Amino acid sequence: MQTSTNNSTTSVPVLQLVDPNAVRRSVLTMLYRAKASHLGSNMSAIEMLIAMYASVDCEKIRKQKSDRSRILISKGHCAAATYATLAHYGILPMHLLETYHLDGSKLAGHVSHTVEGVEHSTGALGHGINVALGCAMGLRSRGHVNRLVLALVGDGEIQEGSIWEAMMFAVHLKLNNFITLVDNNRISSITNTEKVIDMRPLKARFEGFGLNVHEVDGHDVLAIMSAIEQIQKDNLPGVIICNTIKGYGVPFAEWQPMWHYKSLTEDQYTEAIDHLDRLKVA
Amino acid sequence: MRGQIIDSIFDQMKTNPDVFFLTADMGIGLVEKFEENYPNRFSNVGIAEQNLVGISAGLVNLGFRPFAYTISNFIIHRCFEQIRNDIGLHSYPITLLGTSTGFDNAPLGPTHHIVDDWGTLKGLPNIDIYCPSSLSYAANLIEKIIQAGRPAYIRIPKGAHTEPDSEENMIKLRGESDDVLLVSYGNPAQLCIEVRKEDPRISVLVINRLRPLDDLALSEALDLHKRIIVVEDHFPHSGLFGSICEFIATHPIHGKIESLGPRSYTFEVGTSPEYFYKKYGIDVTSILEVINKKDDK
Repeated sequence: MQTSTNNSTTSVPVLQLVDPNAVRRSVLTMLYRAKASHLGSNMSAIEMLIAMYASVDCEKIRKQKSDRSRILISKGHCAAATYATLAHYGILPMHLLETYHLDGSKLAGHVSHTVEGVEHSTGALGHGINVALGCAMGLRSRGHVNRLVLALVGDGEIQEGSIWEAMMFAVHLKLNNFITLVDNNRISSITNTEKVIDMRPLKARFEGFGLNVHEVDGHDVLAIMSAIEQIQKDNLPGVIICNTIKGYGVPFAEWQPMWHYKSLTEDQYTEAIDHLDRLKVA
Repeated sequence: MRGQIIDSIFDQMKTNPDVFFLTADMGIGLVEKFEENYPNRFSNVGIAEQNLVGISAGLVNLGFRPFAYTISNFIIHRCFEQIRNDIGLHSYPITLLGTSTGFDNAPLGPTHHIVDDWGTLKGLPNIDIYCPSSLSYAANLIEKIIQAGRPAYIRIPKGAHTEPDSEENMIKLRGESDDVLLVSYGNPAQLCIEVRKEDPRISVLVINRLRPLDDLALSEALDLHKRIIVVEDHFPHSGLFGSICEFIATHPIHGKIESLGPRSYTFEVGTSPEYFYKKYGIDVTSILEVINKKDDK
């Protein structure tokens, strides 16, 4: 864990932030060891995950307090990045990362609620967001109105109709503690999302549903945190479109749909780690 | 039956602050009292069944005990994956309330015929399934389900039947002979009781909890009968006939198993359930004919 200095573009206070480079290194090692897939989707979401957990009280999550803020991973296939982030925040024992995707482990390729810190098991898309909405309603009903519910969805995932059921109802209820973060990496399963269903202009579509929409660089942790903070000041549920690069930080995988599926060879793993080393030195 | 179930949930809400009622815009004249009295534990989520189940799962995360209400087909078929993943995989104590069964909605057509709801759900491993046949059973069902703390589905028949007057999951109405046993649930159970009144030799087994079945009680109930006829307003292969066949295959039951019930969907219009009972041979006359025809051989 390293201390991040605040910059002039945001009002987010100085916090202990996890280093994206360190999480990326953990994820690469997990994926390489297990010959696992979903490299691209994991890499695009790392800064988002870091920002989400930095925006809530992780101690309450660690202790499973009933009044904790909830973080729901609706795009469950970014499990490696989620588990690595949880480990770097001290919620999940670091040594468990070594078991990812291996025989007998509870750390599967999609997030599981049997793992410390994970609220809900997902994998099929368009599920976590509705559960997140239920959490937000439940928090309000219990009187914990200042607790957040942050839900991470993919930009391919928002093709699921259930996503929009949740959006409509969240706006109707004016749940301003309910914030959806869209990993807008613009590649879904087999190709670019705009070739499948062109959702542009995405911001206007969410705004058309009545949501409080922010659009940020999805690899800027502080910008994401600032947007989360801004949304809470309003009285509407929020959406943060995080513009990301699928495979971010692994140059040969960036923007490549095939890295939704491929697993790393030894040479590719070495090349990716070397790249992170150079970034760290720089 | 619906009113009884709703009243029971309302009673539980008075003393249990975790009970939460949700509807997908169904239940006019029944559900308003939840909103009026407990607005923080009521939600009409709109015509959005996937959201209904997902929200219910989120409420369990906060310690609530949700009851999710809409027409049986909509709550089972529209959001089957939500039931599998968000309820079943998590073993969440959510109760799905399905209004109407079999041909309760007769003239509305096959989208509203409830003939493959619980059979579909039976494919999932850990959801209890109930179909109350009488008000007596329905009266305490909600309390039992809350105590059990498991995922559950209640298939709620239209009607307000007083027989059998019992809270048991399985009720045997013994006949004068051991030859024929009719096995049924929900509204067709009433038809079987009528058959027994016509022919006192017939025994009737009414099953209110369709899963899990009590092995010992079922074994004792089926034992000694020469003919076991399952009568249901649901596809038999995935319904109770399928369950009884599975049971008999693994237990020393020697009676011959037979089935009466619908085998496919139909677009044919019938203005009442009785029209379809006759069409599919589960009306009183048809059941008696089947019993007597085989008796003649």
